[in-house]
Amino acid sequence: MPDMNALLAGIPAELTRLILALVALMVFIGLNGLALVWVERKVAGHVQRRPGPYEVGPFGLIQPIVDAVKLVAKQLATPAGADKFLYWLAPLLSFLPIFLLFIPIPFSKNLVGLDTNLGILLILAFAGLNVLALCLAGWGQNNKWGLLGAGRAVAQSVAYEIPLLLAVLAVSFQTGSLSLTEITAKQGAWPWQWNIVVQPLAFFLYFICAVAETNRAPFDLPEAESELTAGFHTEYSGMGFGLFFLAEYANMIVVCSVATVLFLGGWQGPIEPGWWWFLIKMYALLVVIIWFRWTYPRVRFDQLLNLNWKWLLPLSMVNLLATAFAVKLFA
Amino acid sequence: MSHCAATELTGDTYTRRFDKGPTGDTLIVNMGPQHPSTHGVLRVIIELDGEYILRAEPVLGYVHRMHEKMGEVKSFTQYLPNMGRVDYLHAMAWNWAYVGAVEKLGGVEVPERAEYLRVIATELGRISSHLVWWGAYLLDLGAFTPIMYAFDDREIILDLLQIITGSRLTYCYFRFGGVIADVTPAFVSGLTEFLARFKSRLPMYKDLVTDNAILRKRCEEIGVIDVDMARRYGATGPVLRGSGVAYDTRRAEPYGIYDRFDFEIPVFPEGDAMARYMVRMREMEESVKIIEQALAQMPGGEHLSAKAPKPAWKPGVGEAYFAVEGARGKIGVYVVSDGTKNPYRVKLRAPSYCNLSLFPELAQGVILADAVSIMGSLDLVIPEIDR
Amino acid sequence: MSAIFDDFPVPGKQVPGDFAKTGQSLSIFLAPAGIVAAARYMKDRQYFIEDVTGLDLAEGFCALYHFAHFEKPGRVTLRVLASRENPAIPSITGVYQGAEWHERETRDFFGIIFEGNPNDGPLLLADEDVAPPLLKDDAKRAVLQKAWPYEAMGVNPVPAAKPAPAAAKPATPATEVTK
Repeated sequence: MPDMNALLAGIPAELTRLILALVALMVFIGLNGLALVWVERKVAGHVQRRPGPYEVGPFGLIQPIVDAVKLVAKQLATPAGADKFLYWLAPLLSFLPIFLLFIPIPFSKNLVGLDTNLGILLILAFAGLNVLALCLAGWGQNNKWGLLGAGRAVAQSVAYEIPLLLAVLAVSFQTGSLSLTEITAKQGAWPWQWNIVVQPLAFFLYFICAVAETNRAPFDLPEAESELTAGFHTEYSGMGFGLFFLAEYANMIVVCSVATVLFLGGWQGPIEPGWWWFLIKMYALLVVIIWFRWTYPRVRFDQLLNLNWKWLLPLSMVNLLATAFAVKLFA
Repeated sequence: MSHCAATELTGDTYTRRFDKGPTGDTLIVNMGPQHPSTHGVLRVIIELDGEYILRAEPVLGYVHRMHEKMGEVKSFTQYLPNMGRVDYLHAMAWNWAYVGAVEKLGGVEVPERAEYLRVIATELGRISSHLVWWGAYLLDLGAFTPIMYAFDDREIILDLLQIITGSRLTYCYFRFGGVIADVTPAFVSGLTEFLARFKSRLPMYKDLVTDNAILRKRCEEIGVIDVDMARRYGATGPVLRGSGVAYDTRRAEPYGIYDRFDFEIPVFPEGDAMARYMVRMREMEESVKIIEQALAQMPGGEHLSAKAPKPAWKPGVGEAYFAVEGARGKIGVYVVSDGTKNPYRVKLRAPSYCNLSLFPELAQGVILADAVSIMGSLDLVIPEIDR
Repeated sequence: MSAIFDDFPVPGKQVPGDFAKTGQSLSIFLAPAGIVAAARYMKDRQYFIEDVTGLDLAEGFCALYHFAHFEKPGRVTLRVLASRENPAIPSITGVYQGAEWHERETRDFFGIIFEGNPNDGPLLLADEDVAPPLLKDDAKRAVLQKAWPYEAMGVNPVPAAKPAPAAAKPATPATEVTK
């Protein structure tokens, strides 16, 4: 019998840590996904002057779990003529990379999956995989409306990645690092010590691009219910839809986490820094995104792209140049 | 890949008639008959080049119930409830159009109090219809909240009208020679309260929705209709008044006692979806004014003429065309009687029918998202179009 | 109340009506051949088309065209009579595009063929062969037989209805339209 101790000792500590982090993140994303569904429905309800879910459990807290059970229990139907492999690959491809996106994010001083010095790069790279998932979904479902939705989604995602990148780069320039733990550490506990004070334009640009990247209203054309029935997830029901749904919320959490880390000081906070501050700030941004959805109408597609190419991109470049200039002068 | 090539179209006769052969790289899609924003059971076959519409053709008849035949097999009185079902959003106006035509035919007098009651009921119906239009239009554009607020206000109107008519939606309030029931004190006090509350809500709608930059971008310069187009297709109502023509049936072919009220006809010259939007928002304010004046001026008296015809009534040989300003435009009812107790012919002229007929010409070259905005701005009710 | 059109381009009879009683201030009785020119005349005078509808009369199929004006009061009705054997009327869609749907609906309900209408499909009725639903039988048509004096005005092209029980009328051959 092989020596178990030697075997276990042979596994690098990094790998163990990574595996533990992934498991913890799965739990985190699962729980947060459920919580976020509840928050969205309650905020939507109150904005629309109605109570939202209140039947299932106290204040409707059990509602998301019940909904998840319902989705899981549904028949896994594939539409006739759909490309079976691509059809089922798309939601998986949309959902699975999310775990990787969370790995470099520091929840607190020592709570980070992998303290890599290329954290931002990792996140931006894997966020781009969502575009592929949308393409496959649109094509694989054999539905013209789905195809139109997927085409829009791809154009939108690709377009809005650029100002997002440039805004994030500006923060990196200022900090001198691509590592998220370092960027957080360089900020202070009080709000006037956070990066948002130094880079307000970058925060503004980042936030708009983040809303667009996650396909949330007012940029939710790819799933424009009233025009394209349901856009790229028209033919998905049951767990396939559930995965897309969960992936959208998980993406929202990712972008808000990154915003918290880059601009709002991450886990730093007055009195007692820690993971609770991180969560508070993240949830504040999430509520703002949810608030947007229930207030604004949808931007038309060409107006969406116009906004990006004519306004966000030049502004983000100007911001980057100004940051580089300032860093050089005052470093 | 199993997307249909243009050469091997299956589908029904409308699709086959629409597609005249291989047209290259274009996509032919059906919007409807089940679609979240075609406002009812409407089907539009669209040929798309990317996102641009090359051709659009509405296919009607999915809610066709042959009301005009029902008019011939039912007696004049039996046909009254049908009018509530033609356009259920402004049922009062259709009630009035039919009742007015038959009253002209038979020479029936209407007491003064009944005239005021008719005005109040119809203007309340107008506000209710515009609220539904507003909420649904914004839902089409992706804003999920205004419809909740609109229905909140409309719920009060429905409760009020239930007091006097007994129905919430498909009213049959009018009779030949008046209306079926008088108002109660509960109604009057409820209505006064509602008017005050509604007047305080309209500024909020303006700030939050009408002045919203995204909405403006979605509505301005979209679907411009010029006066000549309106003439060629017979477009009336806010669609026409949004193109600069101050034509309102209440002033052009005066009926009832509208000449006693001081109200404006809102007209906006741009001809785009935003102009039509503004016309309807202003019309709601004007309707509030009319109701207030009617409540103040309403005399005592009977709500139904003592000489009102009995149910099995024969108006005598003749024809009459009566037009009324509905929420969507000019409603016309043309009745021909041959002296028997059933009409010889009832023709229902629906405003949405003519308004929709200009859509194929208007939609050429338009981007798909704008087509949704245009259809919403036309304020269509499909049961009225199909009858 | 519209006065009579002095320069109406097509032979026909213009009969002013009582607007308060019938909702029509002027009725113009035409032969089918003249409808397009008449429509063009109305368009030039900036009338808008309200609707096109039909009526099944003893004299034949009557197509009614209702026009109104944005500025002038009153309603003008053009009445065209088509024979039952050959119910064909030229389409006015070249002048008023909105008439396309009205004409298709009238065709669905009565069977009147509007020649030149770009779309020959049914509008409201299902696409099966159904008999036009708004037709009447002879007994029903008899009462209104002389309500509108088409024949007295020399508007063709009707062989009269078969003798009705109440009013026996000898069949007359179709007459040419003289002025």
